[in-house]
Amino acid sequence: MAVKTDSFTAPTKRRLATFWQPYTRVAMLSWLTGALVAAILEQLVGRPLAFMLGLGKVPVLFGLVIILKAPLLIPGVIVYVLLIYILPIGLIARLTTKLGNKLAAELLRYPMLVSTVVHLVLLYATLQIWGNINDYRNLVLRLTLISVLITLSLNVINGYMGEFSCSHPGFLALGAYGASAVTVSLFVNDNLFGPAVFTGNWGWIIFPFSLILGGIIAAIGSLVVAIPSFRTRGDYLAIISLAFTFIIKSFIENLEFVGGPRGLSSQPDWANLPTVFIWVVVGVWVINNFVRSTMGKALNAVRDDEIAADAMTVNTRRTKMVAFMFSAFWAGVGGGLFAHVLRYVNPSTFGIQKLAEVLAMVYFGGLNSVYGSIVGAVGFNLLSEALRPLEIFKWIIIPVLLILIMIFRPTGLVAFKEFDVHQIIAPKE
Amino acid sequence: MRKSHLLLLIALLLIATVAITACGSSGPQTIKIGINAPLTGDIPKVGEGTKFAAEMWLDDINKAGGLEVGGKKYQVELVIEDNESKADSATKANTKLITQDEVLAIVGPQSSKQAVPAGEVANNYKTPMVSPWSTNPNTTLNRPWVFRAAFLDPFQGVVDAKFISDEFGFTKAAVLYDVASDYPKGLADVFKKSWEDLHGAGSVVAFESFTTKDTDFSAQLTKIINSGAEVLFTPQYYNEVALIVQQAHELGWTGPIIGSDSWGSAETVKLCGSDCYGSFFSTHYAAAGATGATKEFIDRYNAKYGYVPDDVGALTWDSLNLLKQAIQDCGSITGDLGKDRQCVRDALANIKNFPGITGDMTFDEQGDPTKCAVIVKISDAGEFEFYKSACP
Repeated sequence: MAVKTDSFTAPTKRRLATFWQPYTRVAMLSWLTGALVAAILEQLVGRPLAFMLGLGKVPVLFGLVIILKAPLLIPGVIVYVLLIYILPIGLIARLTTKLGNKLAAELLRYPMLVSTVVHLVLLYATLQIWGNINDYRNLVLRLTLISVLITLSLNVINGYMGEFSCSHPGFLALGAYGASAVTVSLFVNDNLFGPAVFTGNWGWIIFPFSLILGGIIAAIGSLVVAIPSFRTRGDYLAIISLAFTFIIKSFIENLEFVGGPRGLSSQPDWANLPTVFIWVVVGVWVINNFVRSTMGKALNAVRDDEIAADAMTVNTRRTKMVAFMFSAFWAGVGGGLFAHVLRYVNPSTFGIQKLAEVLAMVYFGGLNSVYGSIVGAVGFNLLSEALRPLEIFKWIIIPVLLILIMIFRPTGLVAFKEFDVHQIIAPKE
Repeated sequence: MRKSHLLLLIALLLIATVAITACGSSGPQTIKIGINAPLTGDIPKVGEGTKFAAEMWLDDINKAGGLEVGGKKYQVELVIEDNESKADSATKANTKLITQDEVLAIVGPQSSKQAVPAGEVANNYKTPMVSPWSTNPNTTLNRPWVFRAAFLDPFQGVVDAKFISDEFGFTKAAVLYDVASDYPKGLADVFKKSWEDLHGAGSVVAFESFTTKDTDFSAQLTKIINSGAEVLFTPQYYNEVALIVQQAHELGWTGPIIGSDSWGSAETVKLCGSDCYGSFFSTHYAAAGATGATKEFIDRYNAKYGYVPDDVGALTWDSLNLLKQAIQDCGSITGDLGKDRQCVRDALANIKNFPGITGDMTFDEQGDPTKCAVIVKISDAGEFEFYKSACP
């Protein structure tokens, strides 16, 4: 990552490179297997090991949360992470390099879907087992996954289309309220909507529909921003979209039937890890296909030069409208999931603070990149959990980090990188 | 070469860990209490008040050599988590406190925006939680594990209506409130209802609203003055209170103006000046004219942190002492967290007439306290003076 190399760091770098060299040939299949084994290992021996190392209990989030509170535990945490995560994953990756590559090649003989599903199942199993250790970890995992979806959906507008849109909290609110209104009115004995219409286990079929409905409401709402965007760009669009966020917020504050400023609570507990995982995977897959399609390239063309794009037969109006509605749809789905994880929403959640958070994740991770959104959302969430004990200093460190990233990597950590599923799951030798 | 380096590193770390754990081996059993407070975000002053009150409380416990439960002294540890004044962060913090830090009970979060979702978490994990400041009914509704130390909005509306009728004998009232804000709106509705219960339908002669951040109220106030109202009730925050009271006097309003606990900020008098002198409001406690334990708390807080604590600090103090009382009532700490939490919850629910610094408290079946409100008069010196205690 370092840009310049001086005489002092060169040998270290070379040594690192030779150390890392065999790992470049490890297929994703082997990495995931390693991660799964590490998760199982933690399940089996995590507690006694943590106890032996004096940590008391299994460190959640790789010990990031406790090291700031009790710096004395740092060596213990490092040993734990080495023994449970790094060594097993590294060892298995090395040992199964050949086998993994062979299997990956074998899998690719079938339609790509088969191989993709195998990888996703491995990933899911890893996350599920890892998240089982502790409910706090599970919650952070779910909220992080939802952040990935929300960040990626904002990246469509701010990264791929190059507009500075501040309307995402509004879309989230529409989706959250849309989905909650359906589930709460149909399934919960609530003092706003009256007794439940359905009883029994209809949730698995209604919940997806309510999320999609939330997404559609957000998509329709996004037209309020999309249509003015035909004529305004840059700062002006930013102001219009910011106004949209405020309009939605005060609109909901005045809607008595969803609780007004008091908020809407007691959503059914349906957003568990598998549900969130499936939705986020579907979202990432659809958005990735969208941005790599002709439409996605049209977005890039509009970003680079709108007049030239128009001259080259790109229908810029349609492109903008589709992009806004598409992005808003997924933001709405993310908002719906968010509401069902927290099981409470109120209008003031979707204000400036939320906006700053999603924008930070997008620009931290990287514009115009699916990788970037994943890195941004995961990084930001982990960082924000890890630095929580610092209280007010957290809000000095995170902005300073953002400023540093803006100086050294103005487009974000992993910007302008294509997310090619085939390349990820293919054998590496 | 490479491998030996790695092994060496691991060996060194292992030795270091063992050495450290050997030194810091745990002594006597401790009781952990979680504090979920908005230390950063929109309302950092609230978080600060919470933290200061909690630290003062812990000091007392430590000075006494620990918390005595059933003849045995336990060390108390506070785990303070920042919820950034965000709903999702508050749920994360609560989940962490319960599952990771394994606290016995939680005090906080303060504002309803965080307390409602966090209460859900506490209730699901069967962990007692006391929210000192939240006034949204949903925080404790149908949640046997969640309690609060503040009285609810409806209660204040009833008390204010009763106080005005008893004190002045008026029959016609006017209300001016912010329609876009949760707290004033709820309170205004309740006040209207209880006033009309006392004096018949139509006795609230003017029920005027505005939206947050409005600064000109002359249209609404003119209507109110022309309606023949004898008293104006306005449950607003300090910045609006100053504007409303000043503009009302400019337009020729002469009757009393009554408010709610949102007036209870030092800023009210600073912004409003002599216009507010002689007004009344209902609140949790009054700093000036306080006596006994309340005065002692205020003086100590003031001496330590340099300012008079507001209601958040006082309510946090009461919440912590409620917990202390509950833990002591429990009789013994078994070390089995599930059992202890159940015991503390039951003890909390059974507390009768707890002498708090914000009034005597008894929890009803929803976990809301029945307690008396304090009516405060803003004196001619601009101080909040205890006027009388108003019970429902």
